Amino acid sequence: MKIIIVGAGDVGFHLAKLLSFESQDIYLVDMDAEKLEYAGSHIDVITIKGDATSVKLLKQINIDKADIFLAVTESQNTNFTLAVIAKKLGAKKTIARISNHEFSQTTDIDFAEIGIDVMISPGELAADEIRMLINQSAFNDTIEFENGVLNILGSTLEYNSPLINLTVQEAREKFSDIDFITIAIKPENSGETIIPRGNTVYGANDQIYFSTPKESIKKLYKLMGKTPFGVKDIMILGASKIGVKAARNLCDSKFNIKLIELDKERAKDIAEKLPNALIIKGDGRNVELLEEENISEMDAFIAVTGNSETNIMSCLVAKSKGVKKTIALVENMDYINISQTIGIDTLINKKLLAASAIFKHVRKGEVLKLANLHNVDAEVLEFRVKENSPVTKKLIKDVKLTKKGVFAGVIRNGVALMTFGDFQILAGDKAVVFCLPEAIHQVEKLFN
Amino acid sequence: MKGINTKIIISFLGLTSMLNGVFMLIAVPFSIYHNEPEQWGILNAGITTILIGFLFWFFNRNAPKNLHKKEGYLIVTLGWLMLTFTGTLPYLFTGSIPSFTNAIFETISGYSTTGSSILTDIESMPKGILFWRSATHWIGGMGIIVLTVAILPLLGIGGMQLFMAEAPGPSADKMHPRITETAKRLWLIYFLLTFTEFFLLKIAGMTWFDAINHAMATMSTGGFSTKNASVAHWNGTPMIQYIITIFMFIAGANFVLTYFALKGRIQKVFKSEEFRYYFFGVIGLTVLITIIIVNFQDPNLVTSIHHPKPWGETESAFRHAAFQVTSVLTTTGFVTADFTMWNYFATMLMFSLFFIGGSAGSTSGGIKIVRHIVMIKNSFFEFKKLLHPNAIIPIRYDGSGVPKNIIYNILAFFVLYMLIFIISSITLTFFGLDFESALGATASSLGNIGPAIGTVSPVDNFAHLSIGAKWFCSFLMLIGRLELFTVLILFTPFFWKKN
Repeated sequence: MKIIIVGAGDVGFHLAKLLSFESQDIYLVDMDAEKLEYAGSHIDVITIKGDATSVKLLKQINIDKADIFLAVTESQNTNFTLAVIAKKLGAKKTIARISNHEFSQTTDIDFAEIGIDVMISPGELAADEIRMLINQSAFNDTIEFENGVLNILGSTLEYNSPLINLTVQEAREKFSDIDFITIAIKPENSGETIIPRGNTVYGANDQIYFSTPKESIKKLYKLMGKTPFGVKDIMILGASKIGVKAARNLCDSKFNIKLIELDKERAKDIAEKLPNALIIKGDGRNVELLEEENISEMDAFIAVTGNSETNIMSCLVAKSKGVKKTIALVENMDYINISQTIGIDTLINKKLLAASAIFKHVRKGEVLKLANLHNVDAEVLEFRVKENSPVTKKLIKDVKLTKKGVFAGVIRNGVALMTFGDFQILAGDKAVVFCLPEAIHQVEKLFN
Repeated sequence: MKGINTKIIISFLGLTSMLNGVFMLIAVPFSIYHNEPEQWGILNAGITTILIGFLFWFFNRNAPKNLHKKEGYLIVTLGWLMLTFTGTLPYLFTGSIPSFTNAIFETISGYSTTGSSILTDIESMPKGILFWRSATHWIGGMGIIVLTVAILPLLGIGGMQLFMAEAPGPSADKMHPRITETAKRLWLIYFLLTFTEFFLLKIAGMTWFDAINHAMATMSTGGFSTKNASVAHWNGTPMIQYIITIFMFIAGANFVLTYFALKGRIQKVFKSEEFRYYFFGVIGLTVLITIIIVNFQDPNLVTSIHHPKPWGETESAFRHAAFQVTSVLTTTGFVTADFTMWNYFATMLMFSLFFIGGSAGSTSGGIKIVRHIVMIKNSFFEFKKLLHPNAIIPIRYDGSGVPKNIIYNILAFFVLYMLIFIISSITLTFFGLDFESALGATASSLGNIGPAIGTVSPVDNFAHLSIGAKWFCSFLMLIGRLELFTVLILFTPFFWKKN
């Protein structure tokens, strides 16, 4: 498949990397020679330096043969223009990254008609993500499938968890009344994510990921050694687009919101727009101010200013004041893997979210959903199982997934089923698979 | 070696070694056909090489796949050393080149596509061994690392590192977004051109054995011949020499351009600045040297090469001028005439071509034309800058500005090249060569050309060099083929520092 990506920033680079793992033909266009040089020497793509809005350039790389055209530069206007031009020049599917989420929600404008097939708004994705994380407050990562019938949750194991020092196999036998599959373990102080085998041992403070049906979530608190707590009071730092969107979402769900913003005009403006939230004008780096605003009484603290370091530091302050749940927005992709080490529950990155959302549209197969976990470099895919696909011909234990992927469950007729050894996947099921990026291609083959 | 993924390096060495062994086995049928006792030696060498490679690979087949810059450089350099040592086995096992030093020299000369030989009587060599000599050229020309990348798609990302470390020229062009596809296309073109040349040479009157060998030695810009007199053996058959001239020219041009030409986009070929200089340079020099041969040949210099002139005096002069200019410029090193016997001006002119080389992305050696273009433009713009100190003057090549880091890289390459040339010439005089021969042998080895001047002129060979000089020339050929940086970086202290 020929894929043209315009914009070699974080989103573009991450996408190109994911796609190059499966030998797609990728053309990466950018004006910045340095970014291209980095991309060219790190991933298997062809890099083209130049202005992608130039018709001549697009024709040179045979845009009419492109299956997918991705406009993911920083600028919304450029992306719009690019998508429109690309479509007119013959690109089959165009995807544009936008910053104004109104566009993706409105039904008044038919964007497909002017040539933009899909629009992705990273800010909106981040706000949705925050809402989900707050709803599952004891967990630091949440992905819902089919409106929560099946969930993938992430959590650290507390010292009092009954799982500690058990192997995966032992735990499964001991707690056979609770439906869950452990799909990944990231041991404390290790950057590496492992996909557990029967003999992998749970350790204290390990970050673990598991899949579970809705009904079992409550029982899992005990296994993780956590006491569930209701979130009521939330402090949000930064009235950025994401901050406001998240505040509005959470206000609607009847949470008490305190929103702190440095800029006076902005604060005033937001205060008018969000009557149910308390807007404070002040600097979030000022610990006294946070104390004055009763930070220690808060159930959750969400830092979404434009500055990653401010977000991380203020979350650490919140954690030290006893806030149970902290979420920080970071720009830098490399910080994503260290959240547990530094003690913040969840780091979210809108570029990574955008890349995953876009990646879904690039899939050839019947991928219903693609999401990625915040703290590890891995993907979760939901497939609609087709008639006669290889996966339906064997029992789960006989399907070869190597060490880089694992089945996380199946949804059959709206009911989540756990996929242990003797399970048989049938056509029409929706199967969820967790895998490392390099194994995606292999997993896809099973479903085609 | 903490921090370096040694396992993947060793497994990769194993893979290249196995490929190399397969090529040795291809030489066996030639030996069997001519009923030579050496067939067993070559067979043994092939099996040994495959076995060594298999063991290397087998015990490291589960190596983690991460490949960084350091591993890339190590794989290429060690891979070439591995090639060299296993490549000597057919010579040693058959006893056709009994001395280890000589075998190493002949092997590196083969892989690096230099074409200098220590053999005094080539025609008495077994046919299987002659084929193996030409095969080493052919393997080394396009590069075995590139071949490994092409047929074993085990390295998605790391492949680019290897590709850049082995491919000649300041930057590697991709013909296709995927590196394995690019490598496949390169080898396919290479194979097709070699086959076409083989076919044409056969029609023009060569025996099929000579045609195969010369085709392989031409397309790799190598220069090993199956005849003692090199291509001068066919001085009475101009057609053969014209075919070889044309294919040498193609081999010295960028393969990416050849790819476009084959796809019917000729205008793209002439748009390339490097190709234009290369094309018109060859024509200009040919005309100039033809005039010299016809009108100004030094009557005191008498060549030992026999020159029948079936198509007349002028045609003969033109043919030899064209052949020798292309042969030296593309660093092939085939000989039809002794250019040191024309006159001193012509000799000096040819010697200066030792430092030019072919195009980037070709199989030729030397400094490469593109580097000269950029350097000369850069020097010229320094004058402009003296007059307009505040002007921003980009160096344009092929219509777009050359980034500063590439210019610095090219300048550093040139300085390093000349420095190595001077130091090596001094070293070779220490090993007993005379002044003229030392300069010639160094320039020829470093540029992967083959014949030189002095006692290593086109009608001589390298057999009389001392052991030290042979090892030193072998080293020069290797670093010349891998364009200095790839090998020399291993000798820098910071390469081995952990961070």
